[in-house]
Amino acid sequence: MSNIINIESMKKEYKMGKITVPALNGVDISINEGEFVAIIGPSGSGKSTLMHIIGCLDSPTDGQYSLNAELVSEMKKGKLAQIRNKQIGFVFQTFNLLPHLNILKNVELPLMYAGFSKRNRTRTAKKVLEEVGLGDRLKHKPSELSGGQRQRVAIARAIVNNPTIILADEPTGNLDTASGGDILSIFSDLNDKGHTIIIVTHDPAVAKRANRVINIVDGLIQDGNIS
Amino acid sequence: MAISLKENITVGFSDFWSRKVRSIITVMGIVLGTMSIIVVLALVKGINNQTMKWMMERGGLSKITVKRNWEYKNPEHVRNYFTWKELVLIRSLIPEARYFNPQQRQWVRLSYKDKDYRTSVHGVLPDFSKIEEWDVQEGRFISAFDIDQSNDVIIIGTKVKEELFGNKKAVGEVITVKERRLKVIGIMAFRYMKNSGAIGNDNSFSYLNRRTFVPLTTMIHKGSGSDNISSFTLKAQNAESAPALREKLNNIILNLRRGLPVFEVESAKEEAEEMAENQKMFQTIFYIISVISLLVGAIVIANIMLATIQERTREIGIRLTVGARRRDIFVQFLVQTILVTTIGGILGIVLGLSLLDLVSNFLGIELIAGIAMILVALLVSAGVGFISGIIPAIIASKLDPVEALRYE
Repeated sequence: MSNIINIESMKKEYKMGKITVPALNGVDISINEGEFVAIIGPSGSGKSTLMHIIGCLDSPTDGQYSLNAELVSEMKKGKLAQIRNKQIGFVFQTFNLLPHLNILKNVELPLMYAGFSKRNRTRTAKKVLEEVGLGDRLKHKPSELSGGQRQRVAIARAIVNNPTIILADEPTGNLDTASGGDILSIFSDLNDKGHTIIIVTHDPAVAKRANRVINIVDGLIQDGNIS
Repeated sequence: MAISLKENITVGFSDFWSRKVRSIITVMGIVLGTMSIIVVLALVKGINNQTMKWMMERGGLSKITVKRNWEYKNPEHVRNYFTWKELVLIRSLIPEARYFNPQQRQWVRLSYKDKDYRTSVHGVLPDFSKIEEWDVQEGRFISAFDIDQSNDVIIIGTKVKEELFGNKKAVGEVITVKERRLKVIGIMAFRYMKNSGAIGNDNSFSYLNRRTFVPLTTMIHKGSGSDNISSFTLKAQNAESAPALREKLNNIILNLRRGLPVFEVESAKEEAEEMAENQKMFQTIFYIISVISLLVGAIVIANIMLATIQERTREIGIRLTVGARRRDIFVQFLVQTILVTTIGGILGIVLGLSLLDLVSNFLGIELIAGIAMILVALLVSAGVGFISGIIPAIIASKLDPVEALRYE
């Protein structure tokens, strides 16, 4: 399997007025295509920051990050937007759906920014929503769905452009055990289909689903790359 | 990879509808602004049109009028009328004038059988009809032969006809004026022009319908007994040559009166230009007021858009996460603002157009709408959207995705 994410001695600091708060203190991570990785750590450990950087939403203060052997720090903003659109799918703890759009429109969003025609968009989004079991709810607003259903919409949105990497930040954090389990099964299925899955969590039960667990505490990897 | 303009407009529309109440309140300023633009433009056009119509009705833009200058006190008692000899001289000096009509006027009582009517009688030449572009509706006007022979004939206005003859035939009948018997040979065409803002009499030309006309020579020899003429009118070849002819005529008359301004010489064209010039000031004031009201609308919209963007920070973060570029966010909010103000503009145009009749009746001035002013109003409303939307759109496009996602 080829290496898809390679991070070397990455540091991230936040400036809060005059105080500098370190979030990542020199992190090395290497992830191969097709892996199912859990990044686990207590709150404030820097795991969300790491995920934002992996997802090209944020940039590190120091260190190197290459995605598909390309240096992310050298990419222009338009290219980063394209990567977020086509190569990476995001799933969040709070779902982050647009409340005033129905779920079909929500799932169409990445396709719209990818420049698909209206008809192609609707067809693709419908298909993906059917795959996650929401084919009969297309016109519903997110507020009309349960938490588990909303997270499935979010997953549909994340995979609609068929990205290589799926990043999930505490995807089960707002769900009961049963729907959380369903969501994790979907991630396992997606992994079986070849997607690289990276889940950020503080819950060891969630981490068990992964093939590999990365422990992060105080901005440092604890056990290295131990499976 | 870019999101198309059509797409953006669709997104803008759905945003507009998902926030109906706010959108409508947002655009109220623009609705009122464009409405006032439409009304003001139509009003200005109506007033200009009214002025021009009046000018045309009164003989057109090539007409020149000479009359006593009542503002000049005449301390040296210079002769303030023309003699027949002087008029003949003046006419010979301006051969380029197409028509020439000196006139006298008297207040008289007309009698026919047992009926009396008091009105003015004007001694004129055949050219009068040409200069005023006003002919008879029945019978004939004064001819050169009537002037030559000082014939005892009279042409009456429709009001005079109505008062003295009612429905009976008037042409061929004889009426008595100052114990002189005059034969009615014609009835002047009925004159009408809608009176602006008047109650009761709606015809600004009703005074013309009360006039009567006799040959100038008849009046001089048999009526007034004097050949003193204090006013005359003439017509230049065309409107363009009227100001030059007016200038020339003015110099001739000044020469005849030792350079003293006993008479004033006016050309309709210059008068019309002067009126247009005066109206320009009012137009400018109207425009400034409309622009200020639109600016107020623009500030309100900019403010609301800033609040909207703050409220939608998380949405912007989500859009950036799924692949929106900064340009997409910028265009989304700019297009949306322009869309909102353009919808407001369209509402304002519709409202303005439907108000025209009301305003027209209220002010008594005809209001004229045109395609051009609708386009102006539409462009202005879209322009307001651009001005008020650009800064909020820049702010939205500069948001940091991570912070935007965290925004509660």
